[in-house]
Amino acid sequence: MSTGVSLMLTLLFLTLIKSVPIVYAALGGVIAERAGVVNIGLEGMMTAGAFSAVVFTNLTGSPIVGLIAGVFFGAVLGFVLGFAATFFKVDQIVAGVGINLVALGGAAYGLVLIFNQPGASPQVEQLGPGQLLPQITTGETALIVLGLVCAFGLNWFIYRTPWGLRIQACGENPRAVTDAGLNPLRLRLYSVIASGALAGLGGAFLSICEVNLYSDGMTAGRGFIALAAVIFGRWTPWGATGAAVFFGFFEALQYVLQGRISWLPSDAMQALPYLAALFAIAGLVGRVRAPTADGVPY
Amino acid sequence: MKVVLRVLAGPAGALVLAFVLAAIAMLIAGVNPVDGFGALFAGSLGGRRPIAETLVQTTALLFPALGVSLAFRTGLFNIGAEGQLLMGGLFAGAVGAHFAGPGWLVIPVLLLLGMVGGGIWGGIAGWLRARFNASEIISTLMLNFIALSLAGYLVAGPLKSPLASGAETAPLLPNGWLPAFPTIGSLGFGDTRLTISILIAIATAMVLSFVFTRTVFGYELRAAGEAPEAARRSGINMPRMTLIALALSGAVAGLGGAAIVTGVLHRFNTALSPGYGYTAIAVALVGDLNPLWVCVAAFGFGILEAGGLAMQANAGVPKDAIHVIEGLIVLVLAARRYFATRAAGAPV
Amino acid sequence: MHQHFELVGRLRVWQNIMLGREPRKGLLVDVDAARSRVAELAERNGLAIDPDALVEELPIGVQQRVELLRELEREPSVLLLDEPTAALAPAEIATLFATVVQLAKRGTAILVVTHKLQEVIDYTTRVSVMRHGKIVARYQTTQTSTDEIARAMVGGELPQVAQREATGTQPCLSVRDLSAGVDTTTVSNLSFEVSAGEIVGIAGVEGNGQTVLADAIAGMIPYTGAIELDGSENALKHRENIGIVPQDRHHEGLVLNWSIVENAILGRQNLPGIRKGALTDWNAARADAEAIIERFDVRAASADVPVRTLSGGNQQKLLVGRALLGDPRFVLAYQPTRGIDVGAAALVQSRLIEARNRGCAILLISFELDEILALADRVLVMFRGKINGSFTGAELERGKIGRLMAGLT
Repeated sequence: MSTGVSLMLTLLFLTLIKSVPIVYAALGGVIAERAGVVNIGLEGMMTAGAFSAVVFTNLTGSPIVGLIAGVFFGAVLGFVLGFAATFFKVDQIVAGVGINLVALGGAAYGLVLIFNQPGASPQVEQLGPGQLLPQITTGETALIVLGLVCAFGLNWFIYRTPWGLRIQACGENPRAVTDAGLNPLRLRLYSVIASGALAGLGGAFLSICEVNLYSDGMTAGRGFIALAAVIFGRWTPWGATGAAVFFGFFEALQYVLQGRISWLPSDAMQALPYLAALFAIAGLVGRVRAPTADGVPY
Repeated sequence: MKVVLRVLAGPAGALVLAFVLAAIAMLIAGVNPVDGFGALFAGSLGGRRPIAETLVQTTALLFPALGVSLAFRTGLFNIGAEGQLLMGGLFAGAVGAHFAGPGWLVIPVLLLLGMVGGGIWGGIAGWLRARFNASEIISTLMLNFIALSLAGYLVAGPLKSPLASGAETAPLLPNGWLPAFPTIGSLGFGDTRLTISILIAIATAMVLSFVFTRTVFGYELRAAGEAPEAARRSGINMPRMTLIALALSGAVAGLGGAAIVTGVLHRFNTALSPGYGYTAIAVALVGDLNPLWVCVAAFGFGILEAGGLAMQANAGVPKDAIHVIEGLIVLVLAARRYFATRAAGAPV
Repeated sequence: MHQHFELVGRLRVWQNIMLGREPRKGLLVDVDAARSRVAELAERNGLAIDPDALVEELPIGVQQRVELLRELEREPSVLLLDEPTAALAPAEIATLFATVVQLAKRGTAILVVTHKLQEVIDYTTRVSVMRHGKIVARYQTTQTSTDEIARAMVGGELPQVAQREATGTQPCLSVRDLSAGVDTTTVSNLSFEVSAGEIVGIAGVEGNGQTVLADAIAGMIPYTGAIELDGSENALKHRENIGIVPQDRHHEGLVLNWSIVENAILGRQNLPGIRKGALTDWNAARADAEAIIERFDVRAASADVPVRTLSGGNQQKLLVGRALLGDPRFVLAYQPTRGIDVGAAALVQSRLIEARNRGCAILLISFELDEILALADRVLVMFRGKINGSFTGAELERGKIGRLMAGLT
């Protein structure tokens, strides 16, 4: 096999790996924003997922338990944001910023408290082959497949089920939902909890599947990139998934190019995915329309 | 019940809550809160040196918090103070390393360069919003990471000091250093890190306060933030206002970066900010986006930042607990409006 | 049913109507059942509708139908209609009430909240009059008249509206071949003039291009053609020459968290009297605010209270007062008495006529034909972005204008 082909295959594989956490977070972003809540806290929810997955894997020795813990603690932060943004009418952006501070600080605090070592956790057992899906699939493959299932499921949920219809109405005109005898605040709260669970799953992938430890700042803005993916994907599950893979590609590209292009140092190439996201949201001038009541408290 | 709500509604409530949360964080870490708070206050207010260090932290938070306040008052969510701070420091550090001259020339030029650096970074987000309607929330966040990569690349490569072991620029010539804080009576600060940058920060707050309340520009800026459609119809050019407000917001944060380079580090490296730009959002909100109250809030957070280190060293409470508390304060303060309206008896 | 529709524009008609009561097939929405339920409902009530249409693409009159069908789907025993005809042409009003009267005959109790007295007389059986949150009078419809109801609404005789003097003839605002707007909301090739000392009323049903016309004159949207003030396109850009009463006082006209003083200079903040160098002259602003409070009888504890705390009528008086401040050459008044009580409306109308008598050119856009007929010296009828009728003085005839508003001839 020529080096060119093997390089392409590496790039393809890395793109899939790097996309997974962004896909989960972006799907979380889609469901929250379709219900009318902008979830800036995705980053913090990923952090919570990544950290708690490591803690519980370490505690129980089972990465599956770790994965579930990651989903759970992502959802807990989702509940906090959702509750603040609905029943307490807190500004969604401000609350999201608060969530991020709490999660990042909390994980750093937890590292010292639980593992007694700042910066990074000790290594834990990684999500291995056969633990999630049959023997032949690695942990990574299993979560890639699960990601696609989630995208498919969310699409089906939003466009085909009664609850999806209500969530859409909630993000467009919550008063219409009230008039129909439903509680839009509760719908929003549930959506943001689901959003946090998905982001937590994405975070858990980062810590116990892609690698085998938690280190401070390991989410590195993926939650924010996921927000850009939601916009770039026009608030649809498949669109956001595609956009997340697009950004994942740039992250993979950065690894593949490292050391291969001498005049482009690795520090500068780290900016690639963020630049891609910046250009993506700027390039959509006049061609996107957010849900009408997105970000508007009710 | 109503009395309880009313107390919770004020900044006093936030303060009480901060203490309660801090106590909980100490208990979780297995530390007696009396010891923990003792260490925190000894490390932040217990003497000349701790107070100087608290004021250094206050200054570092105050500039980006003022920048954030300006943007928020215009209705723009500038979450990018961190990147703007870094770019301001980068501009000042890059030129300062090679700029020889008298102090009265070098220092103002470096501070101005900081404003230019931060202003460009904020202005990019402003331009993207004005021209392409790209969400400034996302663009400022992305620009934080881009700034970090760019600065990291420059100090590891083209701007790296050949003499330094780590990735940093060559040190500033002493003429470019900000003078130490003036001696008050018998109280001198020459041996601390405290410089006149705290005075520059407070002056900046006063200028901003004047601009908001007395000038037509400030009036238009507040109109744009309070009621964008009414502002547009009053003849305000909203894209232009967006661009100017985000550039100015970035410039104020960038000034803070230059103040750290000229006042504390005397060189530039990417460790300039341990997240001041993010904490600044909390500071701005606690100060109710009012420049003068933001000064007070910055002092409060300065105590936490400076005391947090001492608390970690002397009482064994990880200093990251401070950031958890800060985040919770943001969440609670954002909820404050709810309590305020409830206490006033208005329907929710 | 609300005055402002609570529909979801980006969902389809059937999705709007069945929201919250979706027929299911397993976990999914049974789309076919939902569609046929809507079609059957529309058929039974004689309201033609396409279940698959996107609501935001429908004309306002049809959206109203969707709103009504949504309420009917629940087979209510009581139906509350809040200003149901605010956005309808006279013909559509007749259709709507025909349906409603049918429902009443089949045993539904119907409660209509409206300020249009003719509708009360034409379609109801009993009337209650509300003033300041209390019911002040009750009548059997057959035994009362619009005059009697109006007197009960005001609590006495109707306030006198100012006398008008001779109409001016000097052209002030001239609009030539104006085209603007996008998609369905456009105006094309509009040409008309408003003279100094004249009130020109634009009659029409909401959504026929009035907003586009107003935005073009206010310089808020791009347009082709010419809009000139005293023969100059530039004069219109000078804020001291024009006063604007915007359509939506909460979003377009006022900053609700600000004081009356701060709001009094909104839009005038750069005029020489207010701006001194880079600074705002707050003394001048306060003087302006107090002048408006006095001349327009704005009821407020002080000039420093947030306008959020004022009643809708007082907010509107503040808005009109600001537009008339400094005797502008031209005033654009969009629904100047929208949603305010009869007394405040009479004051606003009087002040507009006084401004006209002083030589101000006024363009009045209103969806209330009564208001147009009360104020305007000349009436232009707008339908689908075009002017399809013009009436002056003696020719002002209600029925003819009403037919033109609906696009009939």
